[in-house]
Formats: sequence, structure tokens, C-alpha cells
Amino acid sequence: MKRAGWYVVAGAAAGFAGVLGVHGLGTAPAAALGQLKPGGPGASAAPSAPSSAPANGSAVQPGSSGPARKATGTVEQYGYGELSVAVTVHGNQITGVSVPLLRTAEPYSQQLAQQVIPMLRAEVLAVHSARIDGVSGATYTSAAYAQSIQSALDKLHVG
Amino acid sequence: MGFETVVAPRSRRSRKRPTALPSAPRPRPALARAGLVLAGAGLGAVTALAITAETGRELRAAGGAATFLGSLTGLVGMYLALLMVLLVSRIPAIERVLGQDGLLRWHRRLAPWPISLLVAHALFITVGYAQAARAGLGHQVAVLLTRYPDVLIATVGLGIMCFIGILSIHAIRRRLRRETWWLVHLYMYLALALSFAHVLALGPSFVGHPLTQIVWSVAWAATAGLVLCYRFGLPVARSLRHRLVVTEVRPEGPGVVSVICSGRHLDKLAIAGGQFFFWRFLNRSMWWQAHPYTMSALPQPPYVRLTVKAVGDHSAAVARLRPGTRIAVEGPYGAFTKYAQQRPQALLVAAGIGVTALRSLLEDMPRNAAPVVLLRATRPEDLVLHNEVAELVRYRRGRLHELVGTREQAMLDERTLPRLVPDLDRRDIYVCGPEGFVTSIVEVATRLGVPAEAVHHEAYAL
Repeated sequence: MKRAGWYVVAGAAAGFAGVLGVHGLGTAPAAALGQLKPGGPGASAAPSAPSSAPANGSAVQPGSSGPARKATGTVEQYGYGELSVAVTVHGNQITGVSVPLLRTAEPYSQQLAQQVIPMLRAEVLAVHSARIDGVSGATYTSAAYAQSIQSALDKLHVG
Repeated sequence: MGFETVVAPRSRRSRKRPTALPSAPRPRPALARAGLVLAGAGLGAVTALAITAETGRELRAAGGAATFLGSLTGLVGMYLALLMVLLVSRIPAIERVLGQDGLLRWHRRLAPWPISLLVAHALFITVGYAQAARAGLGHQVAVLLTRYPDVLIATVGLGIMCFIGILSIHAIRRRLRRETWWLVHLYMYLALALSFAHVLALGPSFVGHPLTQIVWSVAWAATAGLVLCYRFGLPVARSLRHRLVVTEVRPEGPGVVSVICSGRHLDKLAIAGGQFFFWRFLNRSMWWQAHPYTMSALPQPPYVRLTVKAVGDHSAAVARLRPGTRIAVEGPYGAFTKYAQQRPQALLVAAGIGVTALRSLLEDMPRNAAPVVLLRATRPEDLVLHNEVAELVRYRRGRLHELVGTREQAMLDERTLPRLVPDLDRRDIYVCGPEGFVTSIVEVATRLGVPAEAVHHEAYAL
């Protein structure tokens, strides 16, 4: 067929421009991911606080005493990326947990981490220490989460 | 010549044909062009998808570049695989323009790309994820295979693809039986199906993008539907409708037989001269393989005829077919028809058994066509059907040249061809025969300045 290449090139240019027009460069996917997971981060490698948005940490519990103190734990590498956890304590009570840094290799891990982190947060708030059971199916993430919290608690001399 | 007397007297045929048979649908190049634009648009779209899924920050992060290349090669590779399937799905609108061998040529030309892109995809992703997780490659491979959803089966799929890809390399494929290769090739559908799930579950352009997921799934489902419809449903329906059976097998020359088949509703079968069917003879030893054979004459309801030269197991078995054997057909296919003609007149060239397509094409040409026909054979007895061709040429006020002898004795090159056909510059060239012969004639035509779109060929690859 005559000039077949040109038809393909013309189509490719149109298709490319069309998708770019709808999406915009590197912005729309991030927004979409954010919508899917309320409180989720922008893109997958962006520093983020996935679990912090809905109830940002400071659920001050009755009976807690002393001023609120806050520390950020070490950055932990795990199989699928890296994260660090910040804790807020009143006295010896953990009253808030957030994840200021979550970086993953790809969207799947990001999505997984976003599902798991709220569960881990709930565990920590329940037992008031880093000695959590973790979430099955997310062993590496759980371990990194616990480790980072422990380092933050160490900084605060709690636990 | 007995064909005419058995099937129908010649006079009746020439009187009845124009009204009795529906003409094959005319090819519409605009549709094929639209297909090209659409294919290009898809390519542009998937490239843009891969790019928009990535932010600058991600790209600069550890492993970001490799991961990006991984998703780009994966997306483009899968998209090209989709096009490969479409190229062999026998969509009639495209098949009529490019012809079966044109589509297969594109399929073959495209083939190395999806496979190497998908292999690159696997490598890039492994390296990128390993860098991001600061893990060793071996560890990362284990993590990918065991802990990521659908990656294991996709890897199996990629393995199948590579295996089939290697078998398809010309040097290896030549050593395989056609049927073996064809059956193994079917596993490509399985490989693609296995790869499908991990794209939706893990692809950066798909996770959290329901619209992209839907469009992608619909495109694949539609492709599967087209394949099922045109490679399976339509042939079955057509075979059931026409119910062809072998009526007679008769020798035409050394190792050449004509099979005369009869069937129902053949007056409704739209076929253009020069087209072919895949024939599946439903007896105990041949039912599982379908072979392409050209009709050597336009149908004369209730009869059709194909002429076959024994060159392989299957074509040799055709000579031993028993009357009453039922036949399933797939087709008609091929763009080697009068509709392809670009210039006022035509030169038809055939070598050996290539005369079959030439004969039915000639029969389909109008009475004022004045074609020039060249028949080439090594021995005089190999000029099968030449009496019928002579008759058809005479009726259309054309000229027939029979070239008998070895290649050196009966040479067709830049000097002899213009001498035989002085008005070559106002003729299309239709050439049909063994692959080597077709290639050499196409080269001669090119050197003589015949534009590519005025050269039509059909090669019999063995």
C-alpha cells in the first residue's frame, strides 16, 4: 500500500496528542490515584502521608497527660520502597501516628501500602507500642513500619 | 479439457455467468487506510499513556528511569502484539485490500518488535524495581514472581512467546512441518491471555485509572471477538451453508490433479477470480489440517474446481481423495484479483502450478481486456490447463506466450520481457508461482520502472 508509513505516523501523532490533551503531562494519574485512595499521596514516589489525612494523628485520648511530643522515625528500606513514620505522644500514650515519607517503586506497591498503613496505624494506637502483629501479606511493610516507629519512640524515650 | 464437458458445456457457461454469480465485494483501499491511521493512533496513545503516567520526580528517583522504560516497552509491546493478532484475524475489509500474503508479510515484518520489546520490558522492570528497593537482581526476580499479582503467569506467557518467536525464525521454521508450526503458533493466543491480567493489576497507566482499564480491555475483547468471528464462526457458517463434497479427482499433468467439488447455494458464493480458500478435507487423515489452494476456475454451480500439485504430504494426499469426502472451507481470500488493477490492461505471468490463480483471474476479466499471458514451465507436460488458458485468452482478444525450458533457455529478464510485451508501460503485472520465480519477476518489473502498486503477486510458499 502506498505511503502506508505516513498514515501510521499521522495517526500516531493524533493519538499521542489526544491522550496528552486529556491527561496532561504527569499530572492526571497522580490526581486519579489520589481520588481513588482518599488521603493518598500524589504520585507513587512522592513523599507523602497516606494515612494522615482522614484523622491526622492527634486523637487525644482521655487520661493522657503531659504536653504532646512528636518525633519522626528513621527512614526504613523495605522490599518495595521506603517509608518513615512519625509519632505523637502524650506522656507514655501514643496519640498520633503519621507517615511523612512513603516512596515505592511502582503503583502497585503504593496502593498496597496505602491499604496497609491505616491498619498498622490502628494496631499501634491500640497497643501503644511498636510491638504490633503486622498485617499478613504485607510483612516487609509491617516490619519497616514497626522499626521506624520504634526509632521514633526511642528518640522520645518512650516504651 | 474434460472439465468443461463434465461440469457444463462452454456455451452455456459464457451465457449464464454474468447474471448467475454475484461478484466479490470490491476492495476499498480507504478502509485499509483508515485502519492504518487507527493503528497509528493507538500507538501514539499508548506511548502518551506511558509518558503521562510518570512524573518528573518519579523519573529522577532511584530506578525511575528503568521503571519508566519498562512500562513504556511493556505498553508498546503489548499494543504491537494486539496489532499482530489483528493482522491475522482475516477482517474482510482489510484482507480484500492487502491480500492474505500482504497481511502475513506485515505480520512477519512486525513480529520481532513485540517480542523484543516485551523481553526488554521484563528486564527493565526487574532492574528498576531492584534499584528502587535497593535489592539484588536475583532477590528482585523472586519478589516479582512470588509476591506481585499475575506476574508469574505473565512470565510464563512471555516464555511461550519467546519460544514461538524462536521457532518462527526462518532458518528454524523451514525445518518444521507446516502443521506442527501452525499448531505451536496457536499457543500465542494463550501467551497473550496469560499476560493480560498483570497489565491491569500493575501497569502505572492502569492502576487507579478505570477509564484506561476499560478502553484497554474493550480493545482486547474486540480483537478476540474478531478472531473468533472471522477465523472460526464465518468459515463454519459458510461450510455448513455450501456443504461441499468431492465429486471427482482427475489428473491434469505430472503430479497435478483437479478436484471437482459440488455444493449447495454456490450461486450465492461471492468470489473473484484469483482468490483462494483454505480447504479442510474431512476424512480420517486430513481433517485436522487446512491448506490454501486456489480455485482454478470460477464456480459453475453446483460445481467448483481446485487444481493442486503434489509438493507435500497434504497435496499428495489430495490426489487420493475419494468422491463423497466432505469439505470445510475458509475464504475466499486474496487480493490477487481484477480489482487490484491500476492501469488499463494487464500482463499475467505464471510459472508451474501458479497457472491455477492465473486461469480463474483471466476468466474473471472482461471480454475487452486484451491480456498478455505468459506461461512458464520446465517441460511441456508441466503446462497444465494451458488449453483452457488459450481458450480464455482468445475469447478476450489477448496474446498467449508459452515459455518452455530451463531457466536459462526460457529467460524472463529486463531484455526479454519488453520484447514479449512492448506495451508494458500501460499494463499491470500479475505474477503467480513459486516464491523464487515471483521474486525474480517482481525485481525485473521494478527495474523496468513498473510502479509497485501495478505489480500484484501471489507466491506459493511451501
